[in-house]
Amino acid sequence: MNSVLNKRYDLQGLEISRLARLALWSKFVPMGNFHGGPGGRCLTVLILLHYFGYPMYQLHARYGHRLHFLRRIATKLRT
Amino acid sequence: MDFTTYYSLTAMVDAGRRKARDKVVVSFDLFDTLLIRRIHNPDLVKLPVARYIAELAEQQGRHWHQHKVQQQRDTIEGRHRAETGTNFVDHEACYPLFMRELLMKIFENSYDDALLEKVTDYEIVMENSMLVPRRILVDWIKELAGAGKRIFIISDMYLPATHLRQLIKYAGLDQYIEEVISSADTFLAKASGKAYTMIAEKYALAPSAWLHIGDNPVSDGLRAGETGIDALIIHDPGEDQRKSIVKRYYNYSDGKPFWRGRILQQLMAPLEAENEQHSVLYSEGYNFLGPLIGVFLQQVARFCKEKAITKVFFLSREGWTFKRYWEKAIPRLYPAGGLPEIEYLYVSRMALAGASCAHQGLTKTNADITFLPSGNRDFRDVCRIFSLEPELFTSHLAMFGLKPDTCLSPVHEGYDPENRKRFDALLDDQAFQEEVKRQTREPSLAMQRYFTRAGLFDHENVALVDIGWLGTIQRFLFEAIAHRSDCPTCFGLLFGATRGIPYPESSKNILKGIMYDRNRFDLAASTLFYAQDIFEEACRAPHPTLNGYRLTEEGFELEFRHTDDAVGKAELEQDGYFVPLQQGILDSAEMFAAAAALLGHCFEDWKPWVNYLLVTKLAFPRAKEVINLRHRHHLDDFHGSKKPKSDFGKGLVPLWGQPQMQLKFNPFLRMRCFFSHLGRRINE
Repeated sequence: MNSVLNKRYDLQGLEISRLARLALWSKFVPMGNFHGGPGGRCLTVLILLHYFGYPMYQLHARYGHRLHFLRRIATKLRT
Repeated sequence: MDFTTYYSLTAMVDAGRRKARDKVVVSFDLFDTLLIRRIHNPDLVKLPVARYIAELAEQQGRHWHQHKVQQQRDTIEGRHRAETGTNFVDHEACYPLFMRELLMKIFENSYDDALLEKVTDYEIVMENSMLVPRRILVDWIKELAGAGKRIFIISDMYLPATHLRQLIKYAGLDQYIEEVISSADTFLAKASGKAYTMIAEKYALAPSAWLHIGDNPVSDGLRAGETGIDALIIHDPGEDQRKSIVKRYYNYSDGKPFWRGRILQQLMAPLEAENEQHSVLYSEGYNFLGPLIGVFLQQVARFCKEKAITKVFFLSREGWTFKRYWEKAIPRLYPAGGLPEIEYLYVSRMALAGASCAHQGLTKTNADITFLPSGNRDFRDVCRIFSLEPELFTSHLAMFGLKPDTCLSPVHEGYDPENRKRFDALLDDQAFQEEVKRQTREPSLAMQRYFTRAGLFDHENVALVDIGWLGTIQRFLFEAIAHRSDCPTCFGLLFGATRGIPYPESSKNILKGIMYDRNRFDLAASTLFYAQDIFEEACRAPHPTLNGYRLTEEGFELEFRHTDDAVGKAELEQDGYFVPLQQGILDSAEMFAAAAALLGHCFEDWKPWVNYLLVTKLAFPRAKEVINLRHRHHLDDFHGSKKPKSDFGKGLVPLWGQPQMQLKFNPFLRMRCFFSHLGRRINE
């Protein structure tokens, strides 16, 4: 027994980790046309969101107003 | 009064239960509180509505692109909000007013209120498809209603209360709610706090006896508190996470086509109470096979529109699932209409094979098809497939030095190529062919009577939709009706065309594989070869296979295979095992339509994800997936029961036929099978 969408809001049987594994294989073995594939950055962000999204957003919801300085640092680093 | 913010819905409901004891009235915010949205941005629901309006305009010869419609809607709505702002504190808009203006601008003189109603209905359906009631809040509302509390729903929204009522009705909460109040009706919103004052006066509510639940700290918290209402605010990190994931998938799909199918599936996924615990097979149906069938049928519908096909025949038995999926999904994808009629057609290779000989006789190609499956060996197998009596051919066979049991297949012991040459010569014999035609005349007539009743000959262009693979059903069907002057142009649309034997295509007989076609190189989709039977078993109708058509005085009768023998019973067992899988497929249909309509993508957009689905699930499956999805029994009457030579097929154990231990513990098995598959595809 399982549910179609798991607790990490990921699809049962098509989890993001499985996708990442196949995407990695497809870099070395021709597996067909994935039209550019998922992209490393997108995959990383989505893995983070699926696996660590809840604690991150919990922190953000409770203490987000106190964490603005982190955003400022991130913006500075980007520019 | 102050308000409290909760970071867990359960904690908020617990606190609400305690507070509600002293209250008479409990009001709820609607969107993002009582009903959550599958999509991160509510404005996205407007896009399919714009597309729908553009299609309706196109039908009247008015060329409005959907983007222009959307732009115009935004302009009109913005103006309405600005005008409201001159008389009211809140800048609200009312859907029927601005939508009427929009439609009048687009349709000019041909506008009528029925058109507004049609568009509104579609907007409500789309809106509803993207909304899910929060299970914990629904349970609490029922509890509150049982305790005699007055329950109100208050929303700052452009849809008036009558429209919101429909959404609440869909959520099954209608009977518990005393009144629904929308800012679109009065232009007094929660954002300014005016709505609370107005409601308190209109319904004689004491703010001190009122508890309000919402998600917006200003509208639902601060403003309610200023009016003297106790308010509880929910800020659910789980919802933030979910929406953030949806947002990423959506945004990534814009630049990377690969994610388009993934966002489709994310939007299709059930939430809250919909997301129940089911059998593992149900999830496979919902997450794997359902979307594939949806994409396939969406492309079939598009093809039908492009080729002016007026009727689609779903061929038994896999067509049964396709038809049911179509009924649930496709009309929602094409709300403006223009879809072909649909019908389920009872056919089978065995039933049509005989009928195909009534006019053309038994052709060499058709006889060769008999010997494609390794279980067929001799003339008796030819007779079994083409519904012929072998005893009546004894003299014809003898003339060419053959017997009914002479081996004609190279994969069986006792095969002599000379016998095959003699058999080919027999096929050229006039008397032999006359006997074939005589024996198959009645079933052919019965078949034509059935097809006439099904309306096959009433259309110029028809589509024959089937799972696959060689196209033999369509081959036999077309050959059986090709002699008629009213024979339609048959577009065979297969889920996967693995072919294997050249198909006799002509301008009136076209065959095309949608998800995979061997005629075009598509490595990822070719992984269908790994486990074709799964698709057959998963889509199969719950009725036995058709054995043939019998001529009766009244017309015809369909003859089905008996289910009381061992094979029939095994098939029933297999059907029973796959019930949750089929349920998962069919349950995914409505959500597929809603998500696909919202995203507005087509087959080419879904294809990269479809390719990934096929590769990951068929070529690189988990051991458990193979064990669960592998069929227990697979009936194929076409495939005879004779044993080929002992060395036939040796060393060719496919991945899906491997024992459990190999699947679990052999780390190189999948890659080895994939390289072998790759080699075969390159060399074919």
